[in-house]
Amino acid sequence: MRPSDVEGWRIRAAGAWRRVERFHDELFVAPWRQGLEREARRQGDVLRALLLLEAFGVDNPVAYETLDLVPQLVADLHEWHLRLGQERFGDPGVCC
Amino acid sequence: MPAIVVALVVLAVYLLGYRYYSAYLAKKVYALDPAFITPAHELRDGVDFVPTNKHVLFGHHFTSIAGAAPIVGPAIAVFWGWGPALAWVVLGTVFAAGVHDFGALAVSVRHRARSIGTLAREVINKRARTLFLLIIFFLLTLVNAVFAVVIATLFIATPQAVLPIVLEIPLAIAIGQYIYRTRSPALVPSIVGVILLYLSIGLGQLLPISLAPVADALGIGERALWVILLFAYTFVASRIPVWVLLQPRDYINSHQLFIALGVILLGILVGMDRIVAPVVNDVPEGSPSWFPFLFITIACGAISGFHSLVSSGTSSKQLDKETDARHVGYLGAVGEGSLALGSILACTAGVAAATTDWERLYADFATASDGAVGNFTAGVGAFAGNLGVPATTAAVFAAVVVISFAATTMDTGVRLQRYIIQEIAEIARVRVIARNVTVVTTLAVLIPLGMALLPGGGDEGYTFGVLWQLFGTTNQLTAGLALAVVAVWVTRNSRNPIAVLVPLVFLLSMTTWALWINLGNFIEAGDWVLAPLDAIIFVLAAWLIVEAAMALLRAWRRPGEPAYADDQEAKAGEQ
Repeated sequence: MRPSDVEGWRIRAAGAWRRVERFHDELFVAPWRQGLEREARRQGDVLRALLLLEAFGVDNPVAYETLDLVPQLVADLHEWHLRLGQERFGDPGVCC
Repeated sequence: MPAIVVALVVLAVYLLGYRYYSAYLAKKVYALDPAFITPAHELRDGVDFVPTNKHVLFGHHFTSIAGAAPIVGPAIAVFWGWGPALAWVVLGTVFAAGVHDFGALAVSVRHRARSIGTLAREVINKRARTLFLLIIFFLLTLVNAVFAVVIATLFIATPQAVLPIVLEIPLAIAIGQYIYRTRSPALVPSIVGVILLYLSIGLGQLLPISLAPVADALGIGERALWVILLFAYTFVASRIPVWVLLQPRDYINSHQLFIALGVILLGILVGMDRIVAPVVNDVPEGSPSWFPFLFITIACGAISGFHSLVSSGTSSKQLDKETDARHVGYLGAVGEGSLALGSILACTAGVAAATTDWERLYADFATASDGAVGNFTAGVGAFAGNLGVPATTAAVFAAVVVISFAATTMDTGVRLQRYIIQEIAEIARVRVIARNVTVVTTLAVLIPLGMALLPGGGDEGYTFGVLWQLFGTTNQLTAGLALAVVAVWVTRNSRNPIAVLVPLVFLLSMTTWALWINLGNFIEAGDWVLAPLDAIIFVLAAWLIVEAAMALLRAWRRPGEPAYADDQEAKAGEQ
């Protein structure tokens, strides 16, 4: 067997191994990563609810201190309230 | 008869069921549309709603629904002979489980991936939601109780399995942390993890752990002590975030599932074992009759309501195309049926290699049900022995697989039970329970613990099979509720619901009949723990029948009328 044949086999085997790794990750690791992301999102939701207390009609005693964070929350506000089962956020101009 | 012949015939029937019956369901009953925009696309968020390749999603779905239940039920049911057990598994998988799992997925996808509980409230009425919660409450109570008994029994029968199971916990956490922190492909660490787990079996054989001396010192039975320790563990485990322990262990389990299925099929193929059990067993007088008890003894493996929770809870959010529901839902049921087939063969053919006296193992219903899991592990041990693995090591391997599945189910069960108790407490306006996690977790642990121990302690408690059958009834009622939702949806859309109605009527008839017979037996025996429990489940069954019949009649009289809020909005939009 020539060295170029060996190299060809090596490349093909490495490619096949990577495909197996990818399939394995999709099959077994994806649900686990999803669980992690879900947990991270849950914690984010709690933070977001606390920061947007005033939008729910509840006084937020630290609103001034957390004001800087609000622009960071607007980007995915729409996805957030949809996920919580609210079709519209109710505050025209901010979202929807 | 050679086990391989039975296995091949059954797999061929499954294949035909998938090829023809599921195609009929997809086209004529559920009317799947490849152009329909699924919730995975419409509500895509990268976490829950993710369009997923159908083969990968089948893997996710199958590993979520498969567990210890399709192993234990058939292992008990071969008491009536392998013929009735196999017939119910095959017919149930093809004509009931496939319709149910596939249907729950199809309905959920058409309604923004809503869960079956929410759909029940919308399609039947608000009472159906309460009914659903109560059925799930009893289902989870009995799941946790029976699996605690299963694990305790296996720990006593196979003390070599204790150490591997204990070591699995730090191993799972380590693998989880490694994959999370390195973000590298997980194949090699997974292979290393599974190898380490199986190497620990050798360690377990060197250091078998028995609690008999401790139990004697405490004056309680060993099984009772194991049950108490298991619930103490689940109390702690259910309070830990899911990603720390539950998910990494589930991750190892999903590998074990495929390894176990491979060992069973290859072992049968290589060993060419013959089935030694009778086709129909001549059971002793006074034993429960196979008709109707077979249909509640084998729930998972023939049809299981739990699958509708997975179909509508997670899988429907990941379906790339609506037509993929056939592949994921129907084949998921076939996978579960294959696990049940493996269990039947392990207990009727595989076990023969370990013992030649099958009749002794299944002498009466109590012996059969108490020894069922042990018979399965002995059988799988024999199959693995055909592949060159030492028989004793192979039996510990099988015990580790079953215990891992059952322990993960208990973790999840107690966690879910907590949510259910909170929801019921909210409806009943009992705020002390609804708002206090410690109180809720304590209740979620103590109720099944009591069920597993009372009366007379774990070692002299119920005949395990009786407790198992009660679990089966709640599982079948959950399936009945899901089938009722699917049947109403199909009827409202002016399609022929007969394929859904037949399993629905059969399932509810068998379950209520078995509950009625058992109620008489419990009252006659003066069993004042099981009799009220059976009576409550019977009332739930009767309630379900009434609600389902009323909803179906409404749908029948007014076909085409939207059944759900979404449909009504859509129709209003069209007008």
